[in-house]
Formats: sequence, C-alpha cells, structure tokens
Amino acid sequence: MTRLAFSAMLAAGVSLAALGQTAFADDTLLIGAAISKTGWDAPYDSPVMDGLMLAIDEMNANGGIAGKFPVEIETRDNRSDNAQNAIVTQELVDEGVNMMIVTCDSSMVHAGAQIIVGAQIPAISTCSSSPTLPLSGDGYIFANAVTDNVQGAAQAEYAFGQGYRKAYLLRSPDIEYSQMPLYFADAFKKLGGEVVGESLYSLGQPDFSAEVTKIKELQPQPDVIVTSAFEPDFPAFIRQLRGAGVTVPLVAGDGIDSPTTFALGDAVEGVVFTSSGFAEPGSPMAAYQEKYEAKYGKPPESIMDALGYDLAKIIEAAVTQADSVEPAKIRDALANLENVQGATAEISYKGGNGTPTRPVAVIRIEDGKRVLVSRKAPDPAIVPAPNLDLNAAQ
Amino acid sequence: MAYFLAQSGNALSLGGIYALLALGLAVVYSILGLINFAHGALMTLAGYVLVFAAVLGLPFYLSAPLAILVVMASAVLLERIAFRPVRGASGATMLLTSFAVAVLLQLAFQLFISTRPQVVPLPDFLTATVDLGSFAIGVNRVISVVVAVVVLIALNLFLKRTVLGLAMRAAADDFNVTRLMGIRANRVIATAFALSGLLAAVAAVLWIAQRSSVDPMMGLVPVLKAFIATTLGGLGSLLGAVLGGLLLGAIEIYLAAYLPDAALPFHGAITLGVVILVLVVRPQGLVGASRELGK
Repeated sequence: MTRLAFSAMLAAGVSLAALGQTAFADDTLLIGAAISKTGWDAPYDSPVMDGLMLAIDEMNANGGIAGKFPVEIETRDNRSDNAQNAIVTQELVDEGVNMMIVTCDSSMVHAGAQIIVGAQIPAISTCSSSPTLPLSGDGYIFANAVTDNVQGAAQAEYAFGQGYRKAYLLRSPDIEYSQMPLYFADAFKKLGGEVVGESLYSLGQPDFSAEVTKIKELQPQPDVIVTSAFEPDFPAFIRQLRGAGVTVPLVAGDGIDSPTTFALGDAVEGVVFTSSGFAEPGSPMAAYQEKYEAKYGKPPESIMDALGYDLAKIIEAAVTQADSVEPAKIRDALANLENVQGATAEISYKGGNGTPTRPVAVIRIEDGKRVLVSRKAPDPAIVPAPNLDLNAAQ
Repeated sequence: MAYFLAQSGNALSLGGIYALLALGLAVVYSILGLINFAHGALMTLAGYVLVFAAVLGLPFYLSAPLAILVVMASAVLLERIAFRPVRGASGATMLLTSFAVAVLLQLAFQLFISTRPQVVPLPDFLTATVDLGSFAIGVNRVISVVVAVVVLIALNLFLKRTVLGLAMRAAADDFNVTRLMGIRANRVIATAFALSGLLAAVAAVLWIAQRSSVDPMMGLVPVLKAFIATTLGGLGSLLGAVLGGLLLGAIEIYLAAYLPDAALPFHGAITLGVVILVLVVRPQGLVGASRELGK
C-alpha cells in the first residue's frame, strides 16, 4: 500500500470515527474546504462558513441531501497565504473529496486553481465576487456572490438614473476586488456618463487626506464618487471626505456591508452600496436570519453568512440533480442549475460560465439602517465582460 | 498655493502620528538594541480593551486610562516572559523573538476574540475635524502632533532630571558598566517597556479614531511605518524618531499629492525609494548618533 493511499484511508477513518456514524462512505458527500481560518482573509470566510454549517446541519438532520447523501466537511486552513492555499488544495484533492469550497480571495484561489482543474473536482468560492475566477477555473470553479462587473453595472445604472453624469473613482490596484470602479466606469460610459478623475490608494492605507484634498480642489465637483474600498480603508476615507466638507454622493461595493460602516453615523448617511441581498420583511432572507439568530444567539453582522447558506443550497441542488456524489456529475449539474432558492435570492448558473445569475440589491444607508433602493439584474447590454488585466484596459 | 498649504497640513498631521509610533519603538531600541515588532500587537490589545470597556459600559475617560494601564502592564509582562530570556543574545535572535510574540498575539486575538473587525466606540471629539479655511484637519491628528511633542519633551525631562532617567541613559551608553555601578538592569528595562506600552496605547487610540474598528491584524501597518520612521530618523535616537516620522508623513503626502496619475500605482515603491535615497546619503539616519540617550 502506498503511503498516500494509507494516509488517505487513515484520514477517512479518523473523520468517520469522529462523526461516530456508520454511513456508507460511497453515499457521503465529502466536501473539502480550503479556506482562511486565520490571517487577513479569515473575516470573510468565517461568517460564510457559519451560514453554510447552519444549512448543512439542517440537511444532515434529514438524512443528508435528498435524504440519502450525508454531508461531511473536511476543513483546511490556508492561513490567508497563496502558497499554503495551493498545498491544502492538493491535500484535500488527495483525500478524495467529492467537491470543494474555496476561499473568498480570488488571488488565493487562482493559486490552487490548476490543481482543482487537473483533478476535475467542482469548487465554489465562499464569497469571491471575481468575474475572472471562473475563467481560470476552466469550468470547475464557480463564483457565489454577485460578481464585480455586475455590481459595477448596477452601480452605473443607479448613478445614471439619479442624473449623475460626472463620476470620480477611488480604487486600489492591489487586489482584483478593489478595482471594481473600473467595471463601473465601463458601464457608466456605455450609458453616456463620464469619468472625470480618479485617486489610487494602497490597501491598509491609514490616511486619505491627500486624496480628499485633491477631490476637494476639483472644479467643478464630480456628481458622484465611486469606490469598492472596504474596511479599514473605507471608514478612514469617508470620515476624512465628509470631515473636509465634501458632500458629493458616494456609491460603494458590497465590501462596506459591515457593522463598522453602520457605526459611522453622519459620515455614511446617504451612502449607497450594491449587495447580493436585502432582508425584506417576509422574504426568504428574513426567514433565514431568524434561523441564524436562533442557532448562534445573535443577529447576523452582514450578508456574508447568508451567502454561506446560499452556497449550501447550491450544493444541495446540484447533488440532488446529479443524484450522485461523483465529482463529474456534480459539476455538470451545477453548471446547469436554474432558479435555486437560497437565502439571499434565486440563483442560476446555466449559461453563466461559472458566474451566478442573481439580482443585485442597491441599498442606501439612512439613519444608520439599510433601505432598499432597487433589486434587479442590471441590463446585460451594459455589463462589462470579465477582464483579466483591468489596469491595461485603462 | 492653498493646495500646497492644505497638503502641508496633511503631511504634518500624518507625520505626527508616525512620530508617536516611532517614539514607542525608539524607547526600547535605545536601551536594548531591540526593534520590538510586537509593538503593533500592543496597539491592537489597546483597541480590544476599549471594545470590552465599552461593552461593560465604561465611559471614555475611564476606558482610555484602563487601556493605557493594561497595555503598559502587558509590555512589562512581555519583557519578563519573552525578551528577558534572550537578553544579550544576538540582534537577530531578539528580532525573531519579537516577531514570534507579534504572531502569537495576533493568533490569540483571532482565535479567542474574533477574526471580524470589532467596532470601537470613541467620543465624537476624537473623530471630528477642525476647519482651517482652505482645508480641514482631523482632531485626532492635531492631538497626535501635540502628544508627540509633549511626550518628547516629557521623556527628555524624565531622562535628564530623574535617577531612573539617568540610569536609563547610562544603560543605553554602556549596559554592563551601569550594572557594575549598582543600577538594577531589570528596573531600567522594565521602565523602557512600560514607556513604550504607554506610547503604543496612546497611538492606538488616535489610530483607531481614524479607522473606527480594531481587528487582529491592525498593528501590522503602524509598526511597519514606525520601523521605517525610526530607521529614517536614526535608530536609537528619540529626536530622530520624531523627525523620521514627520519626514515619512511628508514624503507620503507630497508624493500622493503631486505624482502624475500614471506614476500613482507606484506610490508605495517610490516612497520607499526616497527613504532608501535618504539612507544612502545618511546611512546613520537623519540624527546620526545612535546613542542619543547616553548623551
């Protein structure tokens, strides 16, 4: 017996023993989760996993998916490190997982993508909104959240609809997500808007006074400022911007949906952001949030955990459709899913090349609370194509 | 001209907080020759103390002193547990020890508190801005500059007018001879760490006023900036730390303000390039002497 096979058997044996179940290994859906439990990416993966476990526990209480495929999760910490992510991805593949859940940060997933493609195992990212991730996943890696290009288009539709014509961008070339304003610019120009300037920042930049002073000097002032900055950059920026007396409306991405944002008081009054969902009274999202609060004893902090519930529902639908836990069958079923009811929305993958089709919620912050502005998919004609080299496109 | 003045105000205020951060590193370095990378983790700890104090309903005028006390005690404790066993070892050993302490604390925050950022409620006056006509400046930044200057003067008085201060200066000059004179090494070093803890906690309050939350990784950026600032000013020099902080702030702000758009993506690289250029001309840093405390 090879050492590899032995250790795989050992691992399988240990995890089965830990569960104390006598399930037939053949019918068990073994999901390998290569996620960040520590490091800078952990705040994004951990709430998604909370929402996911809530759904998985529900399913296992009913005998597993479709009453016959119990679900088991094998989690490995990639420590928010690209190289470590490739290692844990390989480990999980070697353990013979049926499918994978991969981390929120797209660059880390890119680092393990070729292992997943080579092993032909379907994988879904916890909360990555990267539209390019499914491209490098070659049909095996799927996104879950509303992708950056779709959010950018929804922001453009909203901004143009408000009568804004001159936009100013604040973006960081450091990671893919913080480049979302470039997708906005693309869609905004298609609608007839104009980008009058931009500022660049570095992730974790402690001070935005230089950028704010630049914006304040602009004559005439832009109609709208667009950014996908997130914590801790977003609070620092918006505080300094409003503190300097600049009252230009601001449109942001889903990354600002965090308790810190809502604790900023007057500084964020009127800020508008795009999101994967909104808890309207009586909606599946509101029902989900009640379940969450019952299980964890506190209300959800953001939409991230609901995305985890979505993820579990997508897996459930794919395995039910495939009626099998074979990776190839799950992949095919997943790629053709239509109208799966998750916590945040109805989600489809058919024809999306790995990106989900789901409505975008446009949310305004009023008196420190979320107020729904609109909830629809943006016009496909203005949604920019995924772009692997955003900077070069400028 | 108004634009230049506004950006100069920004440079001064960013430099003020960098100076405060750099002072915290320099106090320990001047005695032990140790760059304490756990300084950032002490700032993070101060943030969590503020969060827990708020949960307990303590007002700011109680929670801030509490944070300062806890962090000072922790700094002294860190010295006792982690740094004393490697005292006198090579610089690399001490550096690695401080990295290890920083990583351990960061993991402890992640595992025992939360990976998610925690909101830190701060009084309005800290997050407000003062309008100076053509530009506005954050109150927390004005405080940073004032505190950095006050701390610098107070430290100087302490070092020149008190016995403990004299002992610290002597220790910085020649630690072994100082011990032969009957000065207790542990007391001197513990004092240095307590001082750096005080500076870490004060800097943390001002740093958090800007970003509104604390997370396990919060200390990384400030400790890095502080390290660059102390190197720029002259390792081991307190005055150098302050000047280095002010210069680093100025470099960052003026580059962000005047670089052409095409060069902006390289802002960080150019900033460090300028720092390296200064060090090529003055390898010992702005304030040459690496023995400021002893003089």
